[in-house]
Amino acid sequence: MSAYTTNELMAAAIAREIEDGDLIFVGVGTAGRAFTLAVGLPVVASRIAQASHAPDASIYWGNLLTPDLSRMPEAWLQDAFTTWPCAAQLQETSQKIDMLGKARFDISFESAAQVDRYGNLNITRLDRPDGSLKTRLVGCLAQPEHLAFVRKPIIVMDLDPRRFVPDVDYVTSFGYRRGGTRREQYALPGPGPQRVVTDKAVFDFAGEDNVMRVRSLHPGVTLDEVTAAMGFAPAVAPDLAETPPPAAETVELVRTVIDPDKKLLRV
Amino acid sequence: MPSREKVVSLRDAAARIPPGARVAFGGNIMRRQVNAFARELIRQRIGDLTIYSFAGGFAVDMLAAAGLLKRYEGVYAGLFWHGLAPSFRRGVEAGAIEVRDYSESAQVARFQAACNGNSFMPIRALLGTDMAKQDPEITVEMTCPFTGRSYTAMRAIEPDFTVIHGYTADAYGNVQWPLARDADDVDQIIARGSNRLIVTVERIVPHEEVKANPHLTYIPSQWVEAVVEVPFGAHPLACDTVHDEDEEAIRAYAAAGRTAAGAADYLDKYVHVGSHEAYLDAFGGLAALKARLGVGR
Repeated sequence: MSAYTTNELMAAAIAREIEDGDLIFVGVGTAGRAFTLAVGLPVVASRIAQASHAPDASIYWGNLLTPDLSRMPEAWLQDAFTTWPCAAQLQETSQKIDMLGKARFDISFESAAQVDRYGNLNITRLDRPDGSLKTRLVGCLAQPEHLAFVRKPIIVMDLDPRRFVPDVDYVTSFGYRRGGTRREQYALPGPGPQRVVTDKAVFDFAGEDNVMRVRSLHPGVTLDEVTAAMGFAPAVAPDLAETPPPAAETVELVRTVIDPDKKLLRV
Repeated sequence: MPSREKVVSLRDAAARIPPGARVAFGGNIMRRQVNAFARELIRQRIGDLTIYSFAGGFAVDMLAAAGLLKRYEGVYAGLFWHGLAPSFRRGVEAGAIEVRDYSESAQVARFQAACNGNSFMPIRALLGTDMAKQDPEITVEMTCPFTGRSYTAMRAIEPDFTVIHGYTADAYGNVQWPLARDADDVDQIIARGSNRLIVTVERIVPHEEVKANPHLTYIPSQWVEAVVEVPFGAHPLACDTVHDEDEEAIRAYAAAGRTAAGAADYLDKYVHVGSHEAYLDAFGGLAALKARLGVGR
């Protein structure tokens, strides 16, 4: 087995973004690779952070605050969320929504059918070139709230030119700019998406005009490989770095304690 | 002592809904959707419906498969682990079903505004998004009179009817939830903003049982027009603390829905069977279902 997998590298990269005391919003994403991106990587990253530099980081997952991560359910069916030991089960979902609006969440994770250069996300519909509906997607859930109110939203997606597009077909969740409309004019409480962690590189939006910008390349990956896997040319940070590989102890922790049965990092 | 009993049959409750009605459904993703009620609407061919929900999917997908859904307004329509809602998706892509997509805070604001009789509620999550541009009858950008901040005004949802699946109720319509449950939904808010509320429950219980634990009443009888005993009324989805998801049945539904013909066959086999009891019989009956899903274990 190699020293680390791409998933372990991505989890370690996400873990470095988590600060002590952060409240982390984890979704309940679906199956296959989508589960790994929306649930597996965020949970593994949170536990890596808790075990190292952020012991007081805690998570919200399935309407539960601080579920006991050492006792993860065998099957992700409804009863798992009904009976999982945790510190608090909010009295109804609107309380989670209030917590979002009140800017109580520090970290959230996003994946989407499309993301564009300004960090707009689309999980609602794919259109034909004339703007008519081609494919109906899931809707919108609370993703717009994440980009509007969370302090550090992290987009977690694999690079793919069909997913990383110049302009999303539909703005489910507002990033930094759409046409002539800019984020500043709305004075939203959250700063907008802060990182994009992918299978080949990590991006931010910290450069000129908030365009998606390559911040670090994963070991062995070239800038050409990254841009070839995107539908637009990203900006490149002047201090472009290599994504630090996970420490050997981190890999050991993931494989023996956090995810020994590969329930989280499945694919 | 309350005196008006409100227990009706599933058939009589559904018959109150006229074609073309605007109906709010309770439940959230894989839990407590009003599936038995939707199946009864299908049996009675009550169509041209507008459905409002939080995160829905299964119930509206069956209505879509039956050609009875005109419009859907919600935060999600899907079958979670089992993919998108197949018949709903087909109907939307064919232009047969209108959709209004709103995020969680946006849709809850619409339900919540109705709770105290207000016509709108301001939120911020839709600023800059295309959801805010879908329908000027529902969203309008506005400015806070105090701070000058931008907001989106969300129009209140004032449904003709509201349908919720709950746990227990007495004959007067005092609906109770168990002390331990999964609270990840907004059923009580949806109920609070209702105009004519129908509640299906797992079990009708004696009024004495309600009086012994009045703090568990989340929908008081004063809001309720009719109450119906429908065990496994959310099946094949879960009714948390009563029974878990029936994965096998959900998987079969999702597979059948891949084609319009498959969805129609499913309706023939499981819905157009006369009654909810006959639906349960298609799975071997209530006792067999309880045994298979480990109820009471």
